[in-house]
Amino acid sequence: MKKRTGVFVCHCGINIAGTVDVKKVTEELSKHPGVVHSEDYIYMCSDPGQNLIIDAIKEKNLDKVVVACCSPTLHETTFRNTIKSAGLNTFQCEIANIREQCSWVHKDMEKATEKAIKISKSTVERVLRNESLDPISIPVTRRALVIGGGIAGIQSALDLANSDFEVVLVERSPSIGGHMIQLSETFPTLDCSQCILTPKMVEVSKHPNIKLMTFSEVQEISGYIGNFKVKILKKPTYVDPDKCTLCDECTKVCPVVVPNEFDLGLTGRRAIYIPFPQAIPATYILDINSCPGLLPIACGKCADVCEPNAIDFDMKPEIIEEEVGAIIVASGYDQYDKELMAEYGYGKYPDVLDGLQFERLLSASGPTMGKILRPSDHKEPKEVVFIQCVGSRDPELHCEYCSKICCMYTAKHAMLYKHHVHDGQAYVFYIDIRSGGKGYEEFVQRAVEEDGVLYLRGKVSKVFEDKEKLKVWGIDTLIGKDIEIDADMVVLAMATRPSNGAEELARKLKIALDKDGFLAEAHPKLRPVESVTSGMFLAGAAQAPKDIPEAVAQASGAAAKAISILCQERLYHAPTVANVNINLCTGCGMCVDVCPYDALSLKNGKAEVNEVLCEGCGTCSATCLRAAIQVKNITPLQVHEMINACLGG
Amino acid sequence: MKQDNSQSEPIRISKLDPKFKSEVMKHKDAQGLNACFACGTCTAGCPVHEIFPEYDPRKLAKMVKLGMRKEVLSIPYIWYCVTCHNCEQRCPQNVKFFNILNVLKNMAAKEGYAPSPWVEQTQQIMQTGIVFPKDEELAKKRESFFLPVLKSDCKKAKKLIELAGLDKIKAKKQS
Repeated sequence: MKKRTGVFVCHCGINIAGTVDVKKVTEELSKHPGVVHSEDYIYMCSDPGQNLIIDAIKEKNLDKVVVACCSPTLHETTFRNTIKSAGLNTFQCEIANIREQCSWVHKDMEKATEKAIKISKSTVERVLRNESLDPISIPVTRRALVIGGGIAGIQSALDLANSDFEVVLVERSPSIGGHMIQLSETFPTLDCSQCILTPKMVEVSKHPNIKLMTFSEVQEISGYIGNFKVKILKKPTYVDPDKCTLCDECTKVCPVVVPNEFDLGLTGRRAIYIPFPQAIPATYILDINSCPGLLPIACGKCADVCEPNAIDFDMKPEIIEEEVGAIIVASGYDQYDKELMAEYGYGKYPDVLDGLQFERLLSASGPTMGKILRPSDHKEPKEVVFIQCVGSRDPELHCEYCSKICCMYTAKHAMLYKHHVHDGQAYVFYIDIRSGGKGYEEFVQRAVEEDGVLYLRGKVSKVFEDKEKLKVWGIDTLIGKDIEIDADMVVLAMATRPSNGAEELARKLKIALDKDGFLAEAHPKLRPVESVTSGMFLAGAAQAPKDIPEAVAQASGAAAKAISILCQERLYHAPTVANVNINLCTGCGMCVDVCPYDALSLKNGKAEVNEVLCEGCGTCSATCLRAAIQVKNITPLQVHEMINACLGG
Repeated sequence: MKQDNSQSEPIRISKLDPKFKSEVMKHKDAQGLNACFACGTCTAGCPVHEIFPEYDPRKLAKMVKLGMRKEVLSIPYIWYCVTCHNCEQRCPQNVKFFNILNVLKNMAAKEGYAPSPWVEQTQQIMQTGIVFPKDEELAKKRESFFLPVLKSDCKKAKKLIELAGLDKIKAKKQS
């Protein structure tokens, strides 16, 4: 059959037409072999523009279409659907990108026009050799995996479970709750953090659709969207949660005291412990790293006093395999390494605390039962200095980005401090105050106006001990003078960074990281909850520093995205995938080694493509010495002809 | 070049007066001080600031907040205000800086920081009932304009000044 190609050149207002002579492109393309129709229009993506294409296909009996316009990431789908409605196979339409790759990056009209012609001609050469293809259909496992049991993970899991999908919720620490369960009160409403979170935690533990796996870590993930296989390592807790009655007899006899992670070292805990009273699951666990020995001969006192015999020294790690159709990653955040902030004396002076430690001091369930006392001498601090941007906004030495939540939680800290210590004075050193959220600016002003918090615009250079006081040297750039404060306590608003292990997790999931180590979203504006890997979604502070309302909103967004996969019987995958010519393949395996998606394997001495995993990147095709593996519709022959067209051949 | 030590000396919070701010804010008209978020609109629109850059309402408000009692009250330029009210009319936080300045001037006067011309004028009014010294030069001038001879009636003015306690204000010692 004779090939009849139509070329449609878009002006995109002046985006293209301002730099490229679109009339000339249309005219030149009309002379190209195989082209039987060419025309230009101001906005090809508009309804009238699309109708031009449909009409031309019908009138001129076109079987191939090239649209010379913007990037295929934007309107490829639009135009493929356009030609589909005119009865053509969607893969008979290709996009010639003459905007991002031409008009936007050039100034010289003559040369830009010449380039646009070459791009369009080479695309014609490609589409002339395109096969008609149908999407690949794949089944869907209608359950989800949520990684991380903080507020984001909890919210995603509950949304999925309440939509009647089964959820596996994996949390690496002994209890769900994340950092939010450590907080005292939340800005800007000052709700008690535990009071609003524990009902959700209880709902998770009781939900028939949620399989909760705490003290567990994702070890390996294989498969693809709709069909992931996950291996989860369930670490031994050495206490049978079904038998443990929370009687607390074990901690009374345990001889070991180590810093309590939940209170960030402000208190101690035993080797056998419950993370916090409302822990979910409600059970004690034995910390094997601080326990003197598993052998009853070494200690074993806890097992002796445990009446229900819940302690089992022989518990072994287990690998549990799960199959899911979608994955939500909510691995959360950690505070910046305090040791790197030596000038503020963290770790050197007991009364220099980080933000989370101060949360524990404020918390009614904290080490001081909500009284603000100095860790060093248990006296009430009368002058407290809060330092913002500790490690944030410092591209030279620390983190380049703004940690976003610190302005608000510092205002809250200062406010709550004044609520506890009426005659105290709170000082806040800041660079800028970023309070862009509903009710946030008003909250900061309330701290200033009602609680008399003194904001000093500038950074602190040094904190050092001087006669039971902490001398804080800083500057107020608004007065233009150095400032010296004799403080009783210093609280550092540490930078927020991706949680420990986020990098390793991202590697297992094949999710990209951004420059700061947070999980990268697929598009910063239009796909903010999707990862670059299909079927994997992001929620909460794992993606960027976020406060609770934002984390919850994104978690619900991620759940909705996951549901949009899980609610389908079958999914469809682009058919432009690698294809092996078995007669040419020698089974050398080079393609298997280079495939970034693990889509290739050797079977009976020949390469085999997993069409669902293949993203059609073409790395295999470029590597194969015998051209035995080719990506459909971008074959070496097509590439050759495209280059030829560019060279004017 | 001569070094200005007062500029390089840091503000030591422990040496300041933490009650100063609340003392200022006790006055009804000065209660809005805490709301100041240091945007600087007051300073930007101030005609005095144009001529005397040292006169900086934003900075003064911050100094009061920090408790810099001595520094604020002894500054001569708190008396420079021309009462145009630009600062308080433009303030987004409704801080009535003009009123705060009045409170500060009253406090400064009571603590012996009133500028000597101001005290001299008060005494002049008490003695003569008019601001300018009454002398022969003035009498001649008035005569040349066919103006009547100035009568010296200072009783009412004196009473007012005594009631307000302005007579007890001492001028700032010349340093």
